[in-house]
Amino acid sequence: MTTVSTEVHPPGESGSFSSGLSVADFAACLDMGLEPVGLAQGYCVMQSQQGLSPMQVGFGMSPYQPAPNDYVENYHCPHGIVSTEHRMWGQNYQQAWIERTWRQGFSSAYKRMLDEATRMGAHGVIGVVDNVTPLAQEGIVEFRILGTAVRVSGHSSNAAPWTTYLAGQRLAKSFEAGFAPLNIVTAISSVRVWASCITQYVMEGTGAMLYGQSNDSIEIEQIVSARAAARELLRQSVKAQLHGDQLHSVELVLREHEFGHGDLEIQPVLRGNRVRRYKDFDAFTTPRPTVRLT
Amino acid sequence: MSDESNELARTTGHRLEELEKGLFTSDLSVNEFLLIKEVGYHPLGFVMGSSIYHTGIQTRKWGQSQELTKLTEAMYNARELAMTRMEDEAAQLGADGVVGVRLDVNYYEWGKDAAEFIAVGTAVKAEDGVSRLNKLGKPFTSDLSGQDFWTLLQTGYAPQGLVMGTCVYHIAHRGLAQAIQSTGQNLELPNFTQALYEARELAMTRMQDEATQLGASGIVGVRLEEKTHQWGSHTIEFLSLGTAVTKTSNDVTLAKPITIISLDN
Repeated sequence: MTTVSTEVHPPGESGSFSSGLSVADFAACLDMGLEPVGLAQGYCVMQSQQGLSPMQVGFGMSPYQPAPNDYVENYHCPHGIVSTEHRMWGQNYQQAWIERTWRQGFSSAYKRMLDEATRMGAHGVIGVVDNVTPLAQEGIVEFRILGTAVRVSGHSSNAAPWTTYLAGQRLAKSFEAGFAPLNIVTAISSVRVWASCITQYVMEGTGAMLYGQSNDSIEIEQIVSARAAARELLRQSVKAQLHGDQLHSVELVLREHEFGHGDLEIQPVLRGNRVRRYKDFDAFTTPRPTVRLT
Repeated sequence: MSDESNELARTTGHRLEELEKGLFTSDLSVNEFLLIKEVGYHPLGFVMGSSIYHTGIQTRKWGQSQELTKLTEAMYNARELAMTRMEDEAAQLGADGVVGVRLDVNYYEWGKDAAEFIAVGTAVKAEDGVSRLNKLGKPFTSDLSGQDFWTLLQTGYAPQGLVMGTCVYHIAHRGLAQAIQSTGQNLELPNFTQALYEARELAMTRMQDEATQLGASGIVGVRLEEKTHQWGSHTIEFLSLGTAVTKTSNDVTLAKPITIISLDN
């Protein structure tokens, strides 16, 4: 990781704390015996090149050849038509360089946030928020991670701070259910789709006519396969980060970006909280049915 | 406050006179009104302050990341003027504080390089007659909603003021050689990272300094906003905002949250 100085003004040294928590989450934080010590943040600006389309990479003649262990599926034209207007091949493949860029940007920003929290003497960082934002010029993105560093009242810290996306009552309930947060888990996968001739016709809505079928609803095999592969790659990435612990409060967002006709990227992003059981489950009290007056 | 801003404040006289007679206005929702009454405060009136500010000429170097101090000063002073005028209205009503403060910036077609900064909120007064003015002898301000105001007081903390720090920063353009050198690569741009760190740190430090002046023990609800306004993508304002709080009581018992099932929807 490149060294970036964050010593301009080490937070938490002025005696007062700052926190990104809402007042409700702040109250819940105090109730759990956690003292906010400061807003910890980490940033990393990366140059991120999207890469060429499979057609551009193969000069239109042949599919892209990815690294040996990367996911790839090739689709060949069953019609035997040789034409510049008819796609002779299609391909799904893993864009490993995008995943690497994302991991590098995210982990650098995360490490910087942890360094700040450690300097504040924090036991953990709660209410973590992260995002990736385009910056100034084309192809430059900034990875941002922020969270409120907290200390357990009356205890000193000598271990690396734990982190969690949770705050407030959701974090309190997790503790109450017997789970302690270890760290946030974030993963991304990227699969590029260069539609084959059949996929292209089906996506354009001319598939039924082409195959002489009366029913308009046809499964688009190449896209289904690309989505399944993207999710599987994501699952493998998450599993590698869990080391046998549990993942709670998972949020999965599936992004799809179309670069051109029949050229798209499928990019699922997962965020979750790695937790470990530290005590037996205490049964909750029976929930009280309520109607809000808002 | 200057004579000029006093003059501006006098133009609000008729509206404030009516409020002083007992009629109150507020942008509080019914629930917020209820909760503010529950913690012993009464709304006095909807108060506001505004300032139309012209920003001077600011030079910037194409290839250098740097703070644009003239723009920073302009953004800071304009907001400060709007806030001060709003606080003056609240003080004229005899308020202890202002809740639900919103700070907005508007641009108009008729004013090139000029912007209107507006601060609005609801002035409130403690019903027990004990002054809640802050360390500077002014009504406290906060962007907390009525619900958040209620919750904060339950934790033994009280708001002292809406604190902010701003920094307008120019992010360097990359030279042709640098761009060519990194073509086709995915890599960190440490100069950019460092510049953004510095800009945010400056904004946050200024916010924390304001909180220290108020004798605050903390700042809650910190937000880091970034806007390019009308300056182009390489000039960004980093604005850090939050409510400075002080601990007023150690003898606090927070109510145990109860598990509920919402019957709405």
